[in-house]
Amino acid sequence: MTETTVVLVLVIVTALGFDFTNGFHDTANAMATSIATKALRPKVAVLLSGILNLVGAFLSVEVALTVTNAVVKIQNSNGTPKAELLEGGGSALLLIVLAGLVGGIAWNLLTWLLGLPSSSSHALFGGLAGATIAGLGWAGVNWNGNGTKLDGLVGKVLLPAVMSPTIAAIVAAAGTWLIYKVTIGVAQRFTENGFRWGQIGSASLVSLAHGTNDAQKTMGVITLALIATGDWADTESIPFWVKAACALSIALGTYLGGWRIIRTLGKGLVEIAPPQGLAAESASAAVILVSSHLGFALSTTHVATGSILGSGLGRPGAIVRWPVAGRMVLAWLITLPAAAVVGATMWWIGHAIGGLAGAIVIFLILLALAAYMYWHSRRSPVDHNNVNDEWGTTPELAEAVR
Amino acid sequence: MVHNLQFALQSAWRVLLVGLLVGAGLPALFALGVRSLAWGAGGDAEAHEPGTAGPKAQPIGTVLGWACIGVVLLGVALGITYIVASGFGKALSFEHIFPTIVDKQ
Repeated sequence: MTETTVVLVLVIVTALGFDFTNGFHDTANAMATSIATKALRPKVAVLLSGILNLVGAFLSVEVALTVTNAVVKIQNSNGTPKAELLEGGGSALLLIVLAGLVGGIAWNLLTWLLGLPSSSSHALFGGLAGATIAGLGWAGVNWNGNGTKLDGLVGKVLLPAVMSPTIAAIVAAAGTWLIYKVTIGVAQRFTENGFRWGQIGSASLVSLAHGTNDAQKTMGVITLALIATGDWADTESIPFWVKAACALSIALGTYLGGWRIIRTLGKGLVEIAPPQGLAAESASAAVILVSSHLGFALSTTHVATGSILGSGLGRPGAIVRWPVAGRMVLAWLITLPAAAVVGATMWWIGHAIGGLAGAIVIFLILLALAAYMYWHSRRSPVDHNNVNDEWGTTPELAEAVR
Repeated sequence: MVHNLQFALQSAWRVLLVGLLVGAGLPALFALGVRSLAWGAGGDAEAHEPGTAGPKAQPIGTVLGWACIGVVLLGVALGITYIVASGFGKALSFEHIFPTIVDKQ
């Protein structure tokens, strides 16, 4: 086993780790409303979402290998790595990818600890951009694309992050308002049973779409690393084991459930009633599918949060907790730069030590960070038993930590 | 930067329009279906004075209700078709109004 092979294994393990955090970070996007309105029991909800993510990930037959091209210039347009990064068995590319993934995971874990729904794709792109800036300089980042289409860090990441939650909020607010108007005069018990099925159906669509979209990113990153080391040559397809491993990690992550984030989205932001849950998840599903149809990249998290907020705005007299919303927006704003700083720092550490030892050291730093945050989370655990407790009865993560 | 803003705004308003139609329209139709079913079922399904028997059942409401829900289910089926098609590298085309599956460009 050569040194590069060991680094490659570290990259794959870290990428799967990222996929796993991507899963539990985003369970809330699909299931927070169904759990909060008791349309589904918490354990059933995460199981359903996990299975649909698994199915969705396996549906990704045609995986784009050019996933990093939206933000950084480490690949050619056909998906192969840039030639100058391939000296020394691809170790330059591997270090950038590894450092970027560590940045993404570190930020995902921190926001999970704080119960904040931040975007996993921002964390990944931020980490990769940071590591690329450290490794290749500012010119290594694809800021604006070439001007012929929506592209680059600005076009694929920043602008959609501002626009997609706004659109989702408007759609969900309109949906909520209409549903309440239409069902005046119907007994509450009757509507709740109907809306229960509506919520389950729309939340399932969101889960399925999440599986196809998000698992693909990790599949692309792992295959890029394999091509860099010469262990895979085909740019038209990906190895089956990569697909299976990514599908399983995201599904397991989803099943584990990011209860802290589910609590914030389901109970903290808005007090959700079944009609609002239906409107929010339908709006999320519609906005996600329509956007991806039109090639408008977006983050599931931003859409889901915008929708839930909108469902609070569309119902007269609903409780919307603006301080929680404010903290979420703050977390969104710093996700990209914060993950970038970690990614860059990791690259510098790895590069300074160099070679295999450098890669091992940043991997160990990641493990230490993860262990610390897990340990910290045990001091105020949130799980399927207390996820639906009344908001504010205990010190709330999304509000209290300052 | 400027061209990206233009492209983004172009996409954004289309997403908003179609999103409103599908993302708010379908749940509203679903709610209409639920309301029709309640009208069809009569009695305790509808709000009425406590102690009275409530409005009488209207079978036509049940038919209309299921018709609304049927349209919503078609919308959901279209959504699933899109997800599956894009997984296989295909896309949905609305060129002929009726959705057809075509190769992704």
